[in-house]
Amino acid sequence: MVHEPPTDAPLPPVAHLRLKALALLLFTAALIVGSVLYLLYARGAFEATQRLVLVTDDSEGVSVGMDMTFSGFPIGRVRTIDLADDGSVHIAVDVARREAHWLRETSVFTLVRGLVGGTTIKAYSGVLSDPPLADGAERPVIRGDAGAEIPQILASARQLLDNLNLITAQGSELAAALTQVRTLAERLNGPGGAMAVLMGGDAQAKQIPALLEQATRLLSESRALMARLDAMGAKADRQLFGQGADAGLLPEVRASVAQVSGLLQEAHQTLTRVDAVLAEAQAVGRNAREATTDLGALRADVEASVRKVEGLLNDINRKWPFARDTELKLP
Amino acid sequence: MNALPVPTSLLERFWRAARRWAVAWWRILDLGTVVLVLLLSPSSWHRAQRSRMARQIVADTLPILLGFTVLVALLSLVLTRIVVVTAQSYGLTRYALEMVVRVLVLELIPLTAALFVAMRATIPGGMQLAQARQRGQRVGADAVRLDAVPRVVAGVYASVTLAALSCAVALVMAYIGVYGANLAGLGGYTRVFGQIFTPQITLVFALKTLFFSLAVALIPVAGGLHGPWGGAAAGTGALARMFAVLLLIEVVSLMGNYY
Repeated sequence: MVHEPPTDAPLPPVAHLRLKALALLLFTAALIVGSVLYLLYARGAFEATQRLVLVTDDSEGVSVGMDMTFSGFPIGRVRTIDLADDGSVHIAVDVARREAHWLRETSVFTLVRGLVGGTTIKAYSGVLSDPPLADGAERPVIRGDAGAEIPQILASARQLLDNLNLITAQGSELAAALTQVRTLAERLNGPGGAMAVLMGGDAQAKQIPALLEQATRLLSESRALMARLDAMGAKADRQLFGQGADAGLLPEVRASVAQVSGLLQEAHQTLTRVDAVLAEAQAVGRNAREATTDLGALRADVEASVRKVEGLLNDINRKWPFARDTELKLP
Repeated sequence: MNALPVPTSLLERFWRAARRWAVAWWRILDLGTVVLVLLLSPSSWHRAQRSRMARQIVADTLPILLGFTVLVALLSLVLTRIVVVTAQSYGLTRYALEMVVRVLVLELIPLTAALFVAMRATIPGGMQLAQARQRGQRVGADAVRLDAVPRVVAGVYASVTLAALSCAVALVMAYIGVYGANLAGLGGYTRVFGQIFTPQITLVFALKTLFFSLAVALIPVAGGLHGPWGGAAAGTGALARMFAVLLLIEVVSLMGNYY
């Protein structure tokens, strides 16, 4: 700094000073104008929009300029937030015309306030074939506030802690139950042990060994009975199936069955012969019936002959005056 | 300082300090109004004065334009990268871009540009004025019209130009740092930019840049015109006042933006 030239000394000559100064001024002006234009463009000043009014009861977290998104893409900006006469909040959103086709008459709008980050306005269109949303339409907005649930959670947690305090307090049911458990454990470790706990007292518990002794005796008797039953079964087996040289009852039964089978065959043959006899008897009967038929005709002839003879005798009797016996004897 | 009489009591010393402080601030305001009046009067815009002003503007702005732009580009890229990587590690990537733009463009870059112009142009210019006054070359209205006005105008112009250019470069670097060298994220970036620069923020930003440029242009020149003689001594008081004013403007702008 000590070697700076004196101030009255002319500044070093600058080549093309006027041109450079003009270019510098133009550059600065272009920079500032360009920044302003970009800012206006970024603020949506050159964008054709349509108005959508969202009605809610609380605009906390909503700010002018914030985005309204559809599927995560910003399609509109909040322009104004007004308090209506009925106390509701009217949030005016400018939706870009080129994005407005995503909004339909059936679209749903939500205002969600998360625990971390700002409030977001989202649009959902379930049926994209519905009629498009008109300019200036008013729609209710569904509000969801994660922070609003914190007091409820805290209240629930406080209630839970109160319950825990009640449970663990002196004289509470849990303490009484633990006392009972301790008493039970002491009785389990006592002289009667678990039997005394189960039977309700020492006197009843002392009956258990007697019962066990009786049960043991019964078991031994049952075992002897089973041994005898086994012996009886062995004898029955031996008699039925034989043992050693003794063939037992079974071969005899088998032989008897064979004999019965032979008898049955013979009876079958006898019956067959009886059938033949019967057939012959039927033939005899048929002949007898034919003979009987012939006998009828013969009888008719005989009756006719007898009647003729009777007539003849009557004639003889009339003619024969000695004989008064008019009885006729049939042949 | 050696010429001043030794103060006899604490109260007198305090009174003298307060008077010096008030006189110094009054001279700054006085110079500002005089420069404004001179700029608005047609007699200050004759050919020789215009030529002098153009030469001063070119001399103050052009030599530092490229270097400062490169410096800002590097600073922006590094800061953007740091913020983006940190935000990714915490799962807050969606807020990284907004934070980068707010910190760099709204707060750091205008202050850096003003300080850079002060260090490279206006403080040396004020010291030159003080040296010239020490030599008794030009005093009074001539000094203001012929020396102060071109330097003040050049200082304001350089400060505004550097702030505008460095903000534009910082915006480009922030985009590259977040999205890479492609145009895929331009729509989302523009939307975030529009959301950050609300009318209120934009107005505060413009006023802050303007007052920064006025502070770095006026205070060193006023110190050079009216301050104590001597190279280093001339700059010290002006430098302290200038930093105080820059700090005050920054605080007020922060209050305007976030309160």
